[in-house]
Amino acid sequence: MAEKGKFNTHQRSAIFGKAGHLLLIASTYLFLWVPIVVLLVFSFNEESFPSPWKGFTLQWYVELIDSVYLWKAFMNSLIVALSATFISVMMGIFLIFFAAQGGRVGRYLNLFYGSIIIPETVLAVSLLGFFSLISISLGLTTLIIGHTVLGLGFVIPMVYARFQDLDYRLTEASLVLGATPLQTFFKVTLPMLRPSLITSALLVFIISFDDFILTYFCAGSSVQTLSLYILSMIRSGISPVVNALSALLLFMSSLMALVYFQLSNRSKIF
Amino acid sequence: MKFLRPPVSDRPFAIGIPAIIWQVLFFYIPLLIIVLTSFLKTTPNGIVGITFEKIAHFINPLYLRVIGSSLVLAFINVILCFLIAYPLAYFIAFKGRKIKNFLLFLLLIPFWTNFLLHVYAWFYVLERHGFLNNILLQIGLIKTPLILLNTNFAIIIMMVYYYLPFMVLPIYTSLERFNTSLIEASFDLGATWLQTFRRIILPLTMRGVRAGFFLVYIPSFGEFAIPSLMGGDKVMFVGNVVSEYILGEGTGSLGAAFMVVSCFVLLVSAVFFYWLLGRFTEPVRDRG
Repeated sequence: MAEKGKFNTHQRSAIFGKAGHLLLIASTYLFLWVPIVVLLVFSFNEESFPSPWKGFTLQWYVELIDSVYLWKAFMNSLIVALSATFISVMMGIFLIFFAAQGGRVGRYLNLFYGSIIIPETVLAVSLLGFFSLISISLGLTTLIIGHTVLGLGFVIPMVYARFQDLDYRLTEASLVLGATPLQTFFKVTLPMLRPSLITSALLVFIISFDDFILTYFCAGSSVQTLSLYILSMIRSGISPVVNALSALLLFMSSLMALVYFQLSNRSKIF
Repeated sequence: MKFLRPPVSDRPFAIGIPAIIWQVLFFYIPLLIIVLTSFLKTTPNGIVGITFEKIAHFINPLYLRVIGSSLVLAFINVILCFLIAYPLAYFIAFKGRKIKNFLLFLLLIPFWTNFLLHVYAWFYVLERHGFLNNILLQIGLIKTPLILLNTNFAIIIMMVYYYLPFMVLPIYTSLERFNTSLIEASFDLGATWLQTFRRIILPLTMRGVRAGFFLVYIPSFGEFAIPSLMGGDKVMFVGNVVSEYILGEGTGSLGAAFMVVSCFVLLVSAVFFYWLLGRFTEPVRDRG
């Protein structure tokens, strides 16, 4: 097989030429990053937008750190995201354990694709109706329940796909050498699944932490998460504190993306 | 050969079951209830029968136009995403070389940050005194600042911005697995670039395109936050109407009914596109 990226055909591969393609890619990345860079630059501006650049300051970051409500919302988001991640990954492991013991999981697997084929708005609205029907009051619990449903839609297909790709001979060897099925699962199968478990956990965490639609419907009026806090800040007008917050969150998601890449591609980015 | 499977027993099923119960209880049952409420006639005393009134209430030009605008929005979004995503995924997969992962990383970071912050970031760009107007004024393309916020243009920009990675990643994955010697073979046999793309590359990466298509198309149909924040609620979309009914007092079951009607339309259009995209998968037969 030819090594990827080395076939020498770009001379002919041009529908709009090599330079044209490069230009297109560059403008796509500009499109993706210009808003973010502008946002970050203005987080250091002395005066609030739309005034032009006045001078460098860190006052908005100080204000951000002092904001009580923001950190409360941040903690709520963190609690929901961590719980939803934990529950969905644990249930994923249980299901895989069942599959590893010879259980036929295949026919239940399609159940978990449901959350991908309907818009999240529909799920959110249905859950809201359901919660009010069985009179569970809205709050952190309902958010965790909803986000776990979102999470299962990622964890189960991802981990199960990895499970199916495992070399069965290793499991067999372990059983032949006298390990019990339980030992085999914890010492052979689970370690081999670790990368996919961690990447799917990261993905669920991010999805839950950044979720807006489901949170908007299922949070109720008493609980505020980071998304809802940002929404209220945006609604009340532009404030450089939001810019400072963006810088912080971008930093956080870059770190997580780095971890994700190290695990999923087994190769370094830089 | 797999003769040494652990003994199959039903005992561990109890361990596999939480995920299934959770999914059924908090996904399928709520959906079923929503569908049922839009058909049930209720009085304060309880359920009294089946009705199609609520559904029929929404079969009129006013609401059909709302569904229509959601379809158009989702369609424009998915097409623009495809047009931008395919060259990008192609570039990253085949020409990215050493910076391949870095390019993916740059694509993922915005994607992994709260999307409301992107909405906010675009305010800075599209504002009357924002970045874009400033640049256009500086180079003299325009004399007075353009009104860009609260327009359909702003909605589309934001939609494409948010949904682009959903299209890029599946296409990238299928291109990465692509055997590039097929492209060389095609060129060696005298095919032009366009023929190679149309008959070799596109059909063989159709799985990714199809996945990306639905990952973008379906959620864009239900989107309500972007239109209301970027479009200033000028045009109503399905998501806005549903959320207004659902969060309003005593209009919950009407909201449910409208959602059922629009999901039906979404489903029909999705099946149509699935069929349409499937047609591209078959390689085009030549005359000779």
